Amino acid sequence: MEDKSAPFNSVPGMDVPSASSEEPAMTRRECLKRSAQGACGAIFVLACGEELGALAQMAGTPPEGEKYDPFKHEWVYLIDISKCIGCGSCVRACERENNVPPHYFRTWVERYRITDSEHPLVDSPNGGRDGFGPEKHGEEGRKAFFVPKICNHCKFSPCTQLCPVGASFRSPDGVMLVDEERCIGCGYCVQACPYGSRFIHPVKHVASKCTFCYHRVTKGLPTACVAACPVGARRFGDAKDPDDEVSQIVATQPTHVLKPELLTGPHCRYLGMSMEVR
Amino acid sequence: MEHSKHIWRAALILLFGVVGFIVVRQFLIPKSFGIAGHYRFDALAEFMAQPVKHGGRESCRKCHEPPYETTSKGKHARVSCEVCHGPVGDHASKEAKIAVMPKNPSYKLCAYCHQKLAARPKGFKQVSFRKHLEEQGFASDSKIPEKICLKCHEPHDPTGAAGN
Repeated sequence: MEDKSAPFNSVPGMDVPSASSEEPAMTRRECLKRSAQGACGAIFVLACGEELGALAQMAGTPPEGEKYDPFKHEWVYLIDISKCIGCGSCVRACERENNVPPHYFRTWVERYRITDSEHPLVDSPNGGRDGFGPEKHGEEGRKAFFVPKICNHCKFSPCTQLCPVGASFRSPDGVMLVDEERCIGCGYCVQACPYGSRFIHPVKHVASKCTFCYHRVTKGLPTACVAACPVGARRFGDAKDPDDEVSQIVATQPTHVLKPELLTGPHCRYLGMSMEVR
Repeated sequence: MEHSKHIWRAALILLFGVVGFIVVRQFLIPKSFGIAGHYRFDALAEFMAQPVKHGGRESCRKCHEPPYETTSKGKHARVSCEVCHGPVGDHASKEAKIAVMPKNPSYKLCAYCHQKLAARPKGFKQVSFRKHLEEQGFASDSKIPEKICLKCHEPHDPTGAAGN
């Protein structure tokens, strides 16, 4: 069961709130009042957190940088399996754009071969970064194709729900990000992701993952993997822009997501995907 | 009430605890935390500030017009320069050259896209290297020479005037 309307749901709080220096003081006063009324500590913590958010929402003034408003976009990704040639340009581009450490991947390409055996043959040597070798004789498969994979940027993501420190989050424009300053590297999110999209950075010791090239898309550039794809198998669009080509395809054509039974609401859609893909 | 002071003491300790909690909390929780959700909102700006490395074909055009033109006319028009040569961010900064752009003359670079694979779309141009070389009259019993493709094909326009 796939939530077809997922990328088009509006994000709560369209107005970007600001953090003025007044708010924490207000909150503290409010909290003190509550303490006097005898609210117990646990409720208290929750109330403070909620109120700061609510106050900020009410403030309604956008923060610095009017150029990009994260509340006005919702990024979606579209992969056309019938076009992918498995060249690995996307993997190499991602690695260079985002300084991904060797043998770790923010995006990777899998080769599927459906043979007469019970399970399909799936391989992804070095994430597809160095291309794929020729198939052994007899292992070509009666159906074979490449499946590029990235973080699905799920609307109902398991990875952010269990972050104990609020480091893993979903941005207002629908991108799952990891705040490296807050991440303690516990690795819960790495275990929780059903798509294997996260890893613990071997040097920084924090969770790392695809950011939808947030530094690029917020400047109007496509992600590095989309820009590198020589055949247009990877595409990127804005679900809140009705004129956007990708947004129109997602809205009007049959697309598929990975592991729809998990109800994670992925923002990464696939065209022409076979049911053998996991 | 002789024992009322016990209650006051407990209340005072509780009050110190609560006030201490609030004060410590103010210092530990970042300013922008909770503005738009359970996260530090300033982190978005930090992500946005990361440097862009891939500039796209147009960014190469400023200095490299001839190969840009050649590629635009040929079969590789949709292949970004940076796919083969690496990101412009590693090569130039503020329109000044900072490092030599790598050129990979090996047939392995061509093989990334054009090695014959069963999983590739049937309409896409792909060759079995050994077989292709045999057909072109190259002895292929030994190791394939690294720069063999460049003998016939100009990578910027592989099927054009310079190619076959």
